[in-house]
Amino acid sequence: MSKLKDALAAGGFPLVVEVKPPKGVEVAGMLAPVTGLNGQVTAFGVPDNEHARMRLSALAAARLVQEAGGEPLMLLTCRDRNRLALESDLLGAAALGVENLLLLSGDYVHQGDHPDAKPVYDADSVQLLQLARELMAGRDSAGNPLKGAPTFFLGAVVIPEAQPLGPQRLKFRKKMEAGADFFVTAPIFDLDRYRAFRREVVPDGVKILACLKVSSAEEVEKAARGELRKVYTLPPAVIQELSGGDPEEVLAKGAALAGRLARQLRSEKLADGVYLKAKGRADLAAAFLQAAGF
Amino acid sequence: MIIAERKPFKEIQEMVAPYGNVLIVGCGTCVAVCLAGGEKEVGLLAAQLKLARNLAGQAGRLGEITVERQCDREFIEPLQESAADYEAVISTACGAGVQFLAALLKEKPVFPALNTTFIGVNEAAGHYTERCRSCHQCYLGITGGICPVTMCTKGLLNGPCGGTVAGKCEVDPERPCAWCEIYERLESQGRLGQIEAILPLHPHSRTTSPGTVIHPAYLRRYAAHE
Ligand code: SF4
Repeated sequence: MSKLKDALAAGGFPLVVEVKPPKGVEVAGMLAPVTGLNGQVTAFGVPDNEHARMRLSALAAARLVQEAGGEPLMLLTCRDRNRLALESDLLGAAALGVENLLLLSGDYVHQGDHPDAKPVYDADSVQLLQLARELMAGRDSAGNPLKGAPTFFLGAVVIPEAQPLGPQRLKFRKKMEAGADFFVTAPIFDLDRYRAFRREVVPDGVKILACLKVSSAEEVEKAARGELRKVYTLPPAVIQELSGGDPEEVLAKGAALAGRLARQLRSEKLADGVYLKAKGRADLAAAFLQAAGF
Repeated sequence: MIIAERKPFKEIQEMVAPYGNVLIVGCGTCVAVCLAGGEKEVGLLAAQLKLARNLAGQAGRLGEITVERQCDREFIEPLQESAADYEAVISTACGAGVQFLAALLKEKPVFPALNTTFIGVNEAAGHYTERCRSCHQCYLGITGGICPVTMCTKGLLNGPCGGTVAGKCEVDPERPCAWCEIYERLESQGRLGQIEAILPLHPHSRTTSPGTVIHPAYLRRYAAHE
């Protein structure tokens, strides 16, 4: 049933566009890319309290995406839920027809807008993959049988530019072993570094959605000052290309760059699809599509 | 050892404001080493309180006594007598000591002077860092003597999160990522194979509080706890 799964299996280079669940209950803005771009987009990524900032629940948002005609890829983090909640949300997702999942540890609470919240991490992302696999096999993590087993298409995250790479490789291997069907990378701006990762670290047959991000002017300025503390880097040529102009111009240049990178990733067969972070904006995703020529 | 910090003076002062005669009880073990609640700190707190109370014109006596350990019945039992003339007690022990004392002096209000912070080590005079979350399931044997439950901010058991930047933790750029340290140490010892297998979910049923441990030699005596 998952279009994402079918597209990846068929080598169709699927595009996943991220939407932004609102802080509040006005969902029209979140759904704009779904109504505006459906047909050109395989699935819509639905973040789960991204950066530990409280927003409308990813599960509800995923269902809303679906009702608006899109296929969701729901993110689920270990930060906010113990194993009971993770498992019951997984069953809930399946019952609502949400099949694609991206399972992750989740940014720490200090990064977000509820820094005093209790961080949970009862499971880590590897164990969460195992939990989902158990459910698919008809059991919960305590071994109790389920009435009706869910079907999932399971994604996990990998960090191509991780430093040091050894520990990240270990985690990557464990995620594969735990049953990840596909991977989404951290944002890619540096094609040379990503190319090296793809060739040296990713075994043949492992499906990778390359994350491309439309950076804000603020992020570009930070990178230019050498103050961007992220798991990805903006090479000097990219900083130069994106710098200058008002914030909207920077975003437009970012969408064009992402489109160009997508084209190259596709032609060099460096990725099996793209996960686009374009501020949840339909116009930026459309600009990306145009630049990518998809 | 257990590390604690003294509460802000104002908070302590307000807790005991309604009472005239107050006994301050120190603890000579962990909290003495971490300079929070030993004999010296008891003296300091007493002097501070005395001054503040004099200024406020409040009458009453402040007593000081420090025992070897407040978490040991043997050492606190004599305090029943010492506390007899006081309306309230301030304990400068960790949370365990305060509770043991409060249980002993049932009729009397017992107030904590410290915030208990963690189980840690003495890096240098005045510098303490956390090492153990007393999680009932020690992984140190396979993780190269570095605790993933404590030293990794997220307590992850199967490798680093996606937030490590240049070997430093996502949460604090000043601190090394515990998983990078674990990896490096095991690699240097040729033991990386130990963390290849996926560790299962942590058995949190064991960590249900309040915990009880019975030494095997005492099993028969405390059979009721089994
Ligand atoms: S960066 Fe390392 S220590 Fe920090 S939370 Fe992630 S895995 Fe744990």
